[in-house]
Amino acid sequence: MAETPIPLEVRNITKRFGDTDVLKGLSLEARKGDVITLIGASGSGKSTFLRCMNLLEQPDAGELFVHGEAIRFKETKHGREPADWNQVVRMRARLSMVFQNFNLWAHMTLLENIIEAPVHVLGKPKKEAIEQAHSLLERVGLTERANAYPAQMSGGQQQRGAIARALAMDPDVMLFDEPTSALDPELVGDVLRVMRGLADEGRTMILVTHEMAFARDVSSEVIYLHQGVIEESGPPKAVFDNPRSERLKQFLAPKH
Amino acid sequence: MINLHGYGPRLLEGALITVELAVLSLALAIVLGLITASAKMSRSRTAHAIGTLYTTIIRGVPDLVLMMLLFFGGQIGINAITDQFYAHFGWDIFINVNEFVAGVATIGLIFGAYMGETFRGAFLAVENGQIEAGRAYGMGPWLVFRRIRFPQMMRHAIPGLSNNWMVLLKTTALVSVIGLSDMVRVAAEASKATREPFTFMLIVAAVYLLIASVSEWAFARLQKRYDVGFEEVK
Repeated sequence: MAETPIPLEVRNITKRFGDTDVLKGLSLEARKGDVITLIGASGSGKSTFLRCMNLLEQPDAGELFVHGEAIRFKETKHGREPADWNQVVRMRARLSMVFQNFNLWAHMTLLENIIEAPVHVLGKPKKEAIEQAHSLLERVGLTERANAYPAQMSGGQQQRGAIARALAMDPDVMLFDEPTSALDPELVGDVLRVMRGLADEGRTMILVTHEMAFARDVSSEVIYLHQGVIEESGPPKAVFDNPRSERLKQFLAPKH
Repeated sequence: MINLHGYGPRLLEGALITVELAVLSLALAIVLGLITASAKMSRSRTAHAIGTLYTTIIRGVPDLVLMMLLFFGGQIGINAITDQFYAHFGWDIFINVNEFVAGVATIGLIFGAYMGETFRGAFLAVENGQIEAGRAYGMGPWLVFRRIRFPQMMRHAIPGLSNNWMVLLKTTALVSVIGLSDMVRVAAEASKATREPFTFMLIVAAVYLLIASVSEWAFARLQKRYDVGFEEVK
């Protein structure tokens, strides 16, 4: 049997903001069913790294492959940019992102948010998209909020809604950018429960998080970033129970 | 009963011209305004410079001067071009600048500059995360514009848009100087002929006021429509 292409692979990504090197040559491979967690102190570059994966940030150098297809770049006077934006649009439609601040579209109801990209990007018939949206809402426990606007929902509800929006794309890889950092502590649990369900059903996920217990439970691989470099990585047991790097030990040490 | 001395039908026609002129100018101004706002927010320096030049010139020169410049100057310019066609190709073309078209073009051009500023501010008020979410879900620039940026921008643009519209509406009165028989010109003629300026100007004032009131109502409804999803407090 032929080897199935890797859903997402990035090689040697570098990124610089002004005079600061934020990412210094990072690579990562997300195979089907992987749950990869990026941890590290703020400013370590983990969110920037995640945002380079769907090109919300343009890496200065490095390669990206989605299902084995290389994203093409060209040099412009504004720096390196994708050579073919249609390719990027196609690639983004296969990844979906869950943001720290939810970013549900404020002028649309939750249901409209969920069907928006499937209908307008994937070209799915509206009726089908609505049916799918209802089953996703049930799954994230928001059946009654279908017609609510984001501003009428709590943070936890918005984030679960945003996960439903991401799932509606039937993505190959889901990117989570600190999905619980903007939530009140009592709302974090519901969101993590939904995410755990996704990991259990074999979704390929890459997430940036500060929830160490969660990372330890669900990850297949944990990557610890320090100042734009992968300081240590491996299975969660190794990384959390036997950290080799001094910095990681300090990072994991209980804070008082 | 007010005696219109038979000017009633012409006044009505004039009022219709005023409305048509205003609505078409508004449409042109909105298109120009969106283009100008995009140019001014663009990374391209040339686009930015052209946008800035346009708004600076238009906002710095009186409307009446611009109108005469474009109407009379425009005719001279067009003649010069058609003369060239005659000299080089032997085509004998004569294009007469129509007063109505000139009026729409001038008012549209003037208010396009003001709309540009209104739209630019409104686009900047849209939260970046909203746009990013669109891009992250595979929307191209046009889809992001149509589905997210435009509907969210409009909420911020409507107060300015409505203000510009009111000024635009009243600016249409200037077209009488280039010979267009709008409501004001008809009323001025009637006033002179009948020596009853008060009667006719009062009617003109009332009609403008009526159009303005209907517009206020329409803009209030539009504002409500674009505020959906935003007015709720958590």
